[in-house]
Amino acid sequence: MKKMRKKEILAMLLAGGQGSRLGALTKTIAKPAVSFGGKYRIIDFSLSNCANSHIDTVGVLTQYRPYLLNSYIGTGSAWGLDARDGGVSILPPYATESGGQWYAGTADAIYQNLNYIDLYDPKYVLILSGDHLYRMNYQEMLRCHKENNADLTISVMKVPMEEASRFGIMTADETGRIVKFAEKPKQPESDLASMGIYIFNKDVLEKALIEDSEDASSDHDFGKNIIPKLLGEGKRLFCYEFSGFWMDVGTISSFHETSMSLLEENPVFDLYDYDFPIFSNENLSSPEYIGPEANVSGSIVGNGSQIFGDVIHSVISVDSYVGRGARVKDSVLLPGATVEDGATVNRAILGEYSVIRAGAVFGSEDPQADIAVIGDDCIVEKGGES
Amino acid sequence: MERVIGIISANYETDDLGCLTQERTIASLPFGGRYRLIDFPLSNMVNSGISTVGLITPYKYRSVIDHVGAGKEWSLDRKHGGLFILPGSLFGVTSSEARFMLRDLKHNLVYLKRSIADYVVLTASDVVYNMDYRVLVDQHVRSGADITMLYHEAVEDAPHDLGLELDGDKVTSFIHGVKKGENIFRNCFVISRALLMNIISWYSAEDFLDIFEAIEPDLGKMDIRAYRFGGYIRTIDDIRDYYLHSMDLLQDEVRRELFSHTNPIKTKVQDSVPTKYLEGCSVKNSLIPAGCFIKGTVENSILFRDVTVGEGAVVRGSIVMQHCTIEPGACVENAILDRNNVIKAGTVIKGSPDHVFVMDKKTR
Repeated sequence: MKKMRKKEILAMLLAGGQGSRLGALTKTIAKPAVSFGGKYRIIDFSLSNCANSHIDTVGVLTQYRPYLLNSYIGTGSAWGLDARDGGVSILPPYATESGGQWYAGTADAIYQNLNYIDLYDPKYVLILSGDHLYRMNYQEMLRCHKENNADLTISVMKVPMEEASRFGIMTADETGRIVKFAEKPKQPESDLASMGIYIFNKDVLEKALIEDSEDASSDHDFGKNIIPKLLGEGKRLFCYEFSGFWMDVGTISSFHETSMSLLEENPVFDLYDYDFPIFSNENLSSPEYIGPEANVSGSIVGNGSQIFGDVIHSVISVDSYVGRGARVKDSVLLPGATVEDGATVNRAILGEYSVIRAGAVFGSEDPQADIAVIGDDCIVEKGGES
Repeated sequence: MERVIGIISANYETDDLGCLTQERTIASLPFGGRYRLIDFPLSNMVNSGISTVGLITPYKYRSVIDHVGAGKEWSLDRKHGGLFILPGSLFGVTSSEARFMLRDLKHNLVYLKRSIADYVVLTASDVVYNMDYRVLVDQHVRSGADITMLYHEAVEDAPHDLGLELDGDKVTSFIHGVKKGENIFRNCFVISRALLMNIISWYSAEDFLDIFEAIEPDLGKMDIRAYRFGGYIRTIDDIRDYYLHSMDLLQDEVRRELFSHTNPIKTKVQDSVPTKYLEGCSVKNSLIPAGCFIKGTVENSILFRDVTVGEGAVVRGSIVMQHCTIEPGACVENAILDRNNVIKAGTVIKGSPDHVFVMDKKTR
């Protein structure tokens, strides 16, 4: 096989998950393709991290409803990742002479694409999840990996003890070497949670994946299978402790809460950082227009939107419309959403190109009520959801 | 559609835009919050199915080239065709109407020679409109004219523009200086490639002239016709035009037509963050692009990217370009602030709608 120019490190980005807990938002698209922050899609964050970390070769593993993701990523040029020598490759499941199969787990997905990794013969492989929100310079993690002479480095962050049982929890010695790993433990021993970001030495990864593929009892999952296996073999596993913002927006309420947190004047997760920009495959809409009677406050409004009514403490994504006399509060309008004249929207998430008809009321002001959600392209008529 | 290539001429200057074009060309004049004037003809070309476009660059071409790059945003980074940079010549004094200088065409004759297109659409880069040139080309082909010129009625006096005297759709003579209501040439025409190359060669000795200046004495010998564009179309000749036609964008129907979703005006993407409207801000009747941070009042205004309006600051009836900061309590009324200006806290800057205050570009 003719090889490409050798890379020091390449990234494999897992983007095949459905994110079923996001309900209506992921009915037609994969979670990494869900819109966030007015103009981004969730995958923009990990792709931008790669670009800002000078990692120019990225394999994106897709499986669940990939069409929007595929067309959105395109050649990767929006993230400056359209290099001739590397770039973004979309890696869906494929057929071989012995048939074909879906990706059975995170480890299996990478296993099935070992040939792709071989093409670039990297020394290190960075494994990422495409559905997390964070800014990270992976080069610093790589430096840490090299300094520790590690076989595998896992990015971790401190979480509140009471939440630790939701994560893969590491116990590390004073040098940062992992001595114990427990996937979603009932009685967590530590508060260091795995962020699902791994740097492997390529040969260690390859060997572990091949052995794992032959183990019929395995779930082919990095957290459940690969990490415990390497730990058992006495390999050098280290923590890389990350202290910035990191979020896996797994549920409707965490999606809503994280969106609302962007509205603070100086949010913890600040999208305004010109030294570490988040790139996106931006739409080419005109600037937004705020009408003569509009009232916009404590909000983010994206390009191409037309606002004629009241927008209070909300995220209005690109190409949205809020009509005259309409009122939107504590809500997230995803791209192209329309709130017609006189309609009211409270504590809600409106899917892409959804419509709230004139005079309709959607969502409740009651802070105890669940966040109201309407899926992409759906319509809410006056007097109830259709 | 017939095989058509495009030429956009950006090689002309004016003093009437004052400091706005001191360091940049008319083509790269920022317009409408996130665009530059060249975006309109360039996007029109591409939206009309013209995928080979030559750009005659002005002498001060840095800002234009910085903006268009390899033409990627307009899908003009093609293997076949795409964007061609055609270096413009230096001229001395030229007439105020001159947009299509023969020498610029002559020096880039190879662009025309190598093409196999039947027709060439030529446009200037000082006109704001969203048009499908196919209708212009269609009429040109059907009528069998030598040249078809785009026109519209002037919305006000335009003493520096070329007007057309018409008999039906036939151009009988040129008028120099146009009065309100008269037919004003909107700096766009279509011609066969063969005839264009002939004209360049016939008038070779007068290559310091604009093509229409050159052919004016011979107007009777040619079949020159006009096509009336029915949509919104404005030429930006001076600061007053710039201010008025920028403010036109606050009208719903103008925006709807110019920023059509089916024929979008494309521009260089800058990856700005969506604009943040903080609690207590008041924004009315304004066009706001991404990257702004607004705590104060913005009314009847057009902001560009990365503008900060501090608490208690007021921006009214103004155009504020990229990277400007209006500090808390400052007030800007009826003004054009070019890039990178910082209006210090408490400062008041006031023009009037008839005499807009213009502040030149600063270096960051």
